[in-house]
Amino acid sequence: MRSMLRLLLAAIPIAALSIAVPLVNRIEPRILGLPFLLCWIVAWVCLTPVFLWTIGRLEKRW
Amino acid sequence: MSQSPVALAIVAAIVFGTILFALLAVRRIKMDPSQYIVGGRSFGTIFLWVLLAGEIYTTFTFLGIAGLSYSGGAPAFYVLAYGACGYAISYFITPAIWRVGKECNLLTGPDFFEARYNSRTLGIATAILYFLMVVPYVALQLSGLQILLRIAGYGAYNATASVCIAFLVLALFVFTAGLRGTAWASIVKDVLVLGAVAFAGIAIPVRFFGSPSAMFDRVTAAHPAILVLPTGSAFHGTVWFVSTVLLSGIGWSMGPHSFSATYSARSGDSLRRNAVLLPFYQAFVTLMIFAGLSAAMIVPGLKGTAVDQSFLLVVQHYYPSWILGLIVAAGALAALIPASALLLAGAAVITKNVAGDVFGIATGDAARTRLTRILVLVVALLALGFWLTGQRTVVELLLLYYNGIAQFAPGVFATFLWRRRATALGVGAGIAAGLAVAIPLAALNITPWGLNAGLVGLGANVATLVILSLIVRPRA
Repeated sequence: MRSMLRLLLAAIPIAALSIAVPLVNRIEPRILGLPFLLCWIVAWVCLTPVFLWTIGRLEKRW
Repeated sequence: MSQSPVALAIVAAIVFGTILFALLAVRRIKMDPSQYIVGGRSFGTIFLWVLLAGEIYTTFTFLGIAGLSYSGGAPAFYVLAYGACGYAISYFITPAIWRVGKECNLLTGPDFFEARYNSRTLGIATAILYFLMVVPYVALQLSGLQILLRIAGYGAYNATASVCIAFLVLALFVFTAGLRGTAWASIVKDVLVLGAVAFAGIAIPVRFFGSPSAMFDRVTAAHPAILVLPTGSAFHGTVWFVSTVLLSGIGWSMGPHSFSATYSARSGDSLRRNAVLLPFYQAFVTLMIFAGLSAAMIVPGLKGTAVDQSFLLVVQHYYPSWILGLIVAAGALAALIPASALLLAGAAVITKNVAGDVFGIATGDAARTRLTRILVLVVALLALGFWLTGQRTVVELLLLYYNGIAQFAPGVFATFLWRRRATALGVGAGIAAGLAVAIPLAALNITPWGLNAGLVGLGANVATLVILSLIVRPRA
């Protein structure tokens, strides 16, 4: 159960950065001046550490 | 032209200064094969960070990402996306590889295949494939270096001789300092590269447009379609984007030098901490996209391979030569330092898996270190010769690297996920099938349904691995 949760946590950013991209392939709304597609990708790159850190917490590594 | 010596002198001083610094840092280290090839398996989180970060900021970052942003726009965003996917996968896979490396005292990527599948044949076959991939990949770094030096020379000279000199000095450096030397040199490289990236991505848009946001206003007004992907199976469309992100993410930790970096860790947790933190560092690549898009507005009209020079031409035209010198120096280190890790990994593969395992030579510690050192120089000369003779084929053979490296992933993943059934024959045939599908497709520019050729190859690879492992049972 717990190992499924860990894999799911890793799969979320991967899915957001790959298969979800066709759904967010647009310029508007611009966020902080960035076109929406670029902003989505940058945001998920920065969120990836949060997910991986949470997995490490679940594994009691830190 | 009177500016040209200033920029080139700065580049030379920084490159040779970095090498000298790294040599001084390792001068007291006694080299045995484990120390020389995988840093004695002693690198903590920070040392590992600079080594692994080297894989993000190569010459491709400096030239390729800005160039792709310049010419294509949104397709360049894939570089951001696949690195983060790669780290999410490496969080699980690299500590597992590290543990096997520690238990079995492994030195190279092929060692891993040999140990896990108990098959020397598979080890030798993967060694030869890795070697064939390293040479063109090093040659590509040299092409990048040549572009950089030509720009620093303000077009006044061809730079071929300078590239040869810089590269031979680098080879002698690797000969002496091993992986630990590469890690020390990476520290200097990372500081410079971060500075250069920040300059390119922030200072350039601010000077020419007022802010990065205003730059995007200009880009959207001039080319409305460039900041989104073409839909479906079109060239560089959404299907290509998704499949390329997945393929590159899967292949992220599979390169020969990635195995060296993984083995060099002190513990599995230092690899996990790096997987958590490195996406933050990778996010800075966004600034290179800013730089490429800015260049598309400031110096429009570059075609073909000239797009790789995009933002560097802006720096060359509009900024003093010392700034150009610092930026080119950062780019030159971004070409040379990853090349040094590749040279070492390529030489280690031949020493251990071909000379040692096939011919039974250089199996003792002292002999093995000596042979690896000599082979570093041999691999360097081969790469240099390859680069000097066939510059056009470099691009074609590079397809072997990007599409090929991911084909090792199913065999690695299967040893953890499918240990009891996967066989050496299945893995070997899977790699062969994957390459047989991916390389011709990539070479002929065929993209079935818009998919990345490497991902199609990966499908053939996995299918072959599973079917052969189930049908052909190994003799007990």
